[in-house]
Amino acid sequence: MTKTRKCLNRNNKKSKKNSQPVNQYYFTMKKTAILSVAIASVILFSCGRDKTKPNSVYMPDMMYSRAIETYSNTDTLKAQGIFYNATPVKGTIKRGELFPFSIEMDKVGDSTNYIASRQVQNPLPALDAVQTKEAERLYLVNCGICHGTKLDGNGPLYNDGKGPYSAAPRALATDPIVVNMPDGQMFYSISYGKNLMGGYASQLNTTQRWMVIHYIRSKQKPAAPVAAAPAAAADTTVKK
Amino acid sequence: MSEHRTIAKRILFPVLFFSLLFTTSSALAQDGKALFKANCAACHNPLKAGTGPALGGVESRWPSKELLYTWIKNWNKAVATGDPYAVKMKDWSPVAMTVFEGAINDKDIDAILAYVETAVKDAQTPTATAGQPVVESDNSLLYGILTLILAVIALILLGVNSNLRKLADDKDGIPSSEPIAFYKNKAYIAMLSLVLFVIAGFFLVRWGIGMGREKDYIPEQPIFYSHKVHAGQNQINCLYCHGGAYEGKHANIPSVNVCMNCHQAIGQYTGSAGPLYREDGTEVNGTEEIAKLYAAAGWDTIAKKYTGAGKPIEWVRIHNLPDHVYFNHSQHTKAGKVQCQTCHGEVTNMDVVSQFSELSMGWCVNCHRESKVDFNDEKGNGNKFYSIYEKFHQEIKEKKRDSVTVNDIGGLECQKCHY
Repeated sequence: MTKTRKCLNRNNKKSKKNSQPVNQYYFTMKKTAILSVAIASVILFSCGRDKTKPNSVYMPDMMYSRAIETYSNTDTLKAQGIFYNATPVKGTIKRGELFPFSIEMDKVGDSTNYIASRQVQNPLPALDAVQTKEAERLYLVNCGICHGTKLDGNGPLYNDGKGPYSAAPRALATDPIVVNMPDGQMFYSISYGKNLMGGYASQLNTTQRWMVIHYIRSKQKPAAPVAAAPAAAADTTVKK
Repeated sequence: MSEHRTIAKRILFPVLFFSLLFTTSSALAQDGKALFKANCAACHNPLKAGTGPALGGVESRWPSKELLYTWIKNWNKAVATGDPYAVKMKDWSPVAMTVFEGAINDKDIDAILAYVETAVKDAQTPTATAGQPVVESDNSLLYGILTLILAVIALILLGVNSNLRKLADDKDGIPSSEPIAFYKNKAYIAMLSLVLFVIAGFFLVRWGIGMGREKDYIPEQPIFYSHKVHAGQNQINCLYCHGGAYEGKHANIPSVNVCMNCHQAIGQYTGSAGPLYREDGTEVNGTEEIAKLYAAAGWDTIAKKYTGAGKPIEWVRIHNLPDHVYFNHSQHTKAGKVQCQTCHGEVTNMDVVSQFSELSMGWCVNCHRESKVDFNDEKGNGNKFYSIYEKFHQEIKEKKRDSVTVNDIGGLECQKCHY
């Protein structure tokens, strides 16, 4: 047994020696193959990924949700027989939320509801210190950019006419039009917009809008010129 | 004496008169600015149309000065004269102009119009030119080429060296083997494959680690929206558009109406933050990008109303977490008081936003290891979530209770089992 193996071994060695040129050729072929693979991989990985495209992932089924997530494409839902319109059911309100504003937005050129909104009272009681702080935060985030952090109608977007915004925002603290405007009308303007100002109903919920009105009122109190300017009365001019 | 007085009077009067005239004329534009701001600026701008038309050159547009003054004081009266221009202006906008009768007089209108003309002139004089962007040069390619050249030179020198040695050996009569070409030399091949193996391995490992991570992801958006202009230059708070970051799980992508809150009035990019560039270096026309927004909103810039033909803008979301990770923004911004910039970087300096953080598990865990919890203090500031544990501690100390059950710490909440 052992003898044969030895013999075999010897034979092997011998054949290797004899066929050296062939073997060497084979060897270099293998090397070239390894070499080309190595070079290819270097080129492949050193190029880096295209940063404008999402990277590849290990487990796509763990990465991407099968459930409909926020900002998923909802175009195909209807075809699948799923009802979805992204709005709350009519006649329902969020838990803890105030009753919605009963006055609808005017049609263009009409101001019936704008005038009617004067009768609406602020449903929120006066704010305490913590609520005032929150109302101030809401004002600074959403209103201060135009109406100014000091409510002087000179926020960074207007900046004394040097900013990009073309119309001067109202000085909420001092302008007699705002000082004499009833809360309800102010709520109407915040919810639906007025002149160039857009509506903020999508950014501030009902409670938050009334809180901001409380905050604006609290800033008006120190200097409130009660004398109604003629402009205030004329502001409601309706196009016939 | 009386003669002296009359002479003094004669000199004094014209002097006073002229000085008054000069001060009024120079102060005219100044008064006009204040009057303009108080009465007109809410709807009018000297250069841009807003709720009302742009006022620059208004005097030349009206058939007569009297009619213009009548219009400014009470537009109804100007329309009543039946003048075609006044009738045309009645329908310029659905919003009627305020009646100023009794509030301002002719002199005020003079001052306002004088200010409007100076404002138009000021705007026409060119201001500082915008600087060119600094192009950062990347040297890594240069270094790569240099390394390659040096490697080739080293190989050539090695070949030359072996050839010379062979020549010297031949001269001395020392027998030497035939020279092997360097690409057949086993030592060279082994060395090269080792180097390539290490390099390839390095990139392979790096690619494997990077899989599923999106740092520096910078997708192309449907509209070139510059955070640098909006959040940097114009100081708009992050929460103005992404209010959801404070209210709930998602930092929402703003809907088109939020854009239109300001862009109803802002129809062009004036270059306030310098020229804008895409990632590939091409310049962006800001005004054209705003026009894309108007198309999406269905906003008719001439009629100044919505046509109803809008469609949502398909922004590409940059920050994505795997489905198996729960992340809530309000927990971090409201309870944890983490600033937006901590995770999103200096967005106020980014023209095109890219993902600033790793958003890997290690990155999350690191921050959770280092961040200190803002516990409730005596004044009631800070996070009240853990105050119940303080209460239990106190009660056990005071022997009011001997133990705390699972129920006491919310063990019977439905969501503990049913989520």
